[in-house]
Amino acid sequence: MTEPFDALHLLSKTSHAAHCRRCLTGLPAVSTDLDASRLVIAFYCISSLDLLGRLYDKISDAEREAWREWIWDQYTLGGVHGSGFRPSPYMKVENPSEHSVQYDASHMIMTYAAIITLAVLRDDFERLDRPSLIQSLQSCQREDGSFSTTPGGGETDLRTLYCAFAISTMLDDWSGINVPRAVDFIAKCRSYEGGYGQAPFCEAQGGTTYIAIAALHLIPERLRNGAEVVTPAERAQTIRWLVQNQEPSGGFRGRTGKEADACYCFWCSAALQILGARELVNVPALLQFISDCQFRFGGIAKSPGGPADPYHTYLALAAVSMYPPDNGEVEARIGSWKLPRLDPLLNTSEETSDWARKYVRARVE
Amino acid sequence: MSQNTGEQILLFSDKREWADVVPLEQYEGDPVAPIFYSETYKDATDYFRGIVKAGEKSQRVLELTESIIRQNPAHYTAWQYRYETLLAINGPLDTELLLMDELAIKYLKTYQVWHHRKLLVTLSGKPKPELDFITVALSGDDQKNYHTWSYRQWLLSYFNNEEDLWSGELDFVEKMLTKDVRNNSAWHHRFFVVWASGVRSGEQDRERVLRRESIYVKQNISLAPNNPAAWNYLRGMLDHVKVPYSAVSDFVKLYTVPFDPSRPDLVDLENPPPSQEAQLPCVQAVEFLADVYEREGGKENIEKAVELLKKLATEYEKIRKK
Repeated sequence: MTEPFDALHLLSKTSHAAHCRRCLTGLPAVSTDLDASRLVIAFYCISSLDLLGRLYDKISDAEREAWREWIWDQYTLGGVHGSGFRPSPYMKVENPSEHSVQYDASHMIMTYAAIITLAVLRDDFERLDRPSLIQSLQSCQREDGSFSTTPGGGETDLRTLYCAFAISTMLDDWSGINVPRAVDFIAKCRSYEGGYGQAPFCEAQGGTTYIAIAALHLIPERLRNGAEVVTPAERAQTIRWLVQNQEPSGGFRGRTGKEADACYCFWCSAALQILGARELVNVPALLQFISDCQFRFGGIAKSPGGPADPYHTYLALAAVSMYPPDNGEVEARIGSWKLPRLDPLLNTSEETSDWARKYVRARVE
Repeated sequence: MSQNTGEQILLFSDKREWADVVPLEQYEGDPVAPIFYSETYKDATDYFRGIVKAGEKSQRVLELTESIIRQNPAHYTAWQYRYETLLAINGPLDTELLLMDELAIKYLKTYQVWHHRKLLVTLSGKPKPELDFITVALSGDDQKNYHTWSYRQWLLSYFNNEEDLWSGELDFVEKMLTKDVRNNSAWHHRFFVVWASGVRSGEQDRERVLRRESIYVKQNISLAPNNPAAWNYLRGMLDHVKVPYSAVSDFVKLYTVPFDPSRPDLVDLENPPPSQEAQLPCVQAVEFLADVYEREGGKENIEKAVELLKKLATEYEKIRKK
């Protein structure tokens, strides 16, 4: 009988941290499709360094300061529909016209990513205009309860809704959201399999299922009107579907019948964690799959043998943070898999989550 | 994007018709995660920022935004500006849709391609040709593409036309499942058409529909028993019509035990048996039967359920070892 963690390689923290730093320094031209989402790349890289414990010992104060300033440079203070963060300066010009600022607007997903990343960097949020942020949430919510990415435009789906909920949680102010309407929208995205799709009538998918479950559990007690956010029957059905998505290889797949992928190792296992069903995750197999996804030159890939990227690197590490090896061994190889604990609801380390909840909060003057 | 064709790409800064536009550089201090743009991308986006600052919406903006989109299909501002320009100059929608047929196949996984299409079809009000386009798109390498299926579900529910749209859906989904019985996107679509979207024309007799679907899913399970997509459909359907799982116990039991060679070879539509080659016992069937016992309740049934779940763990372990 072999021990559950026998085949586990060392978690190559140093090379994963190097991968993230390389991406923060620059991306090749083949990554041009990330031009309108650079802030999310910063979020994945800096959050990975946070979980790897490499944010303070290897990186200078000046470097962290420069990252912080760059994020604040993406702040769109003074927007007509409220303010938030833009994805990158890809539409920014030196002397904008009244016409051009409309196209250099904030984006809900980027705003969530920016606030979390600033909290990772322990920003004091003195510069955040809270009423204006709340206004931008209001201008993104649609009649059907969903949220658009930019005020009055762009695509709408569950991702944006989660970001609005996470921002309201950090602000500790839900006045920017019509919660019952948003909850109705989430319910419409639920499928017969027990997972949630990206929009009403869509196929159940791991990422959007995490988003739906996390969003529902972010709603504070006082706004739940005594109702359960998911019924016991729904909870059981969702858990069943999530567990079914763990492949024999240990990795999770995003949809029934698809291949396992490192990112779903987070999305599915985090949803199980939130639903209080973490004991149903096969942890040794999960860690083995992630171990096999480690890229030899640093970073973690979608699946074994593939090239690494910041998205899969961060999400795989976030899964490891929630599901460390629990056999109590002190051997270095296994010990390398113990990372700081994660807040699965906000998707950041517990310490960062505490910081965000304390400093982003709208202060009563 | 690499330009390995050997052909000289003309920059916008080289074109005489663009000489009146002031190109504007991206304004950025110390960057984080900067992209080392190709010369052609930098050139096109410089001109795009110039055009946007001036507020120009004209025919040539279509040329410029197309160039950007081909280099970065996720440039959502280029898409947005392109759409607004089409509206402003009253551009021909059919030409645009033709271009989109090419781009959608090329950038199947890009969100914006589909969002733009949605906006165009909302304007044109002609969803029927879109269904044909999707049928072609889904016959390629990616028969499970999430955006493509979502777009189809949106078209059907948004335009909600019984005769033109819904009437062909069951045939379409059947063809997709014949190609690949494990395609969960197709099973999901079937559920959407038959159950989740409401009662379609000609489907008012729900007893008949339930019988038809029940035979259909069971037969597909008998052809490929270890197919979670089909088992999930069976569960979802019973949940939807509120029929207890025990109603299909006799069928399910055939799949929870090793193949029985002494079983008489009878045609039983209600309970089609597994084939001799099937890998049995089937994990999904064992789990299903455990749920039947658990739901029936009572000490004896719970014990039976626990027994089955233990068996499930061993089966699962065997698969993992393989």
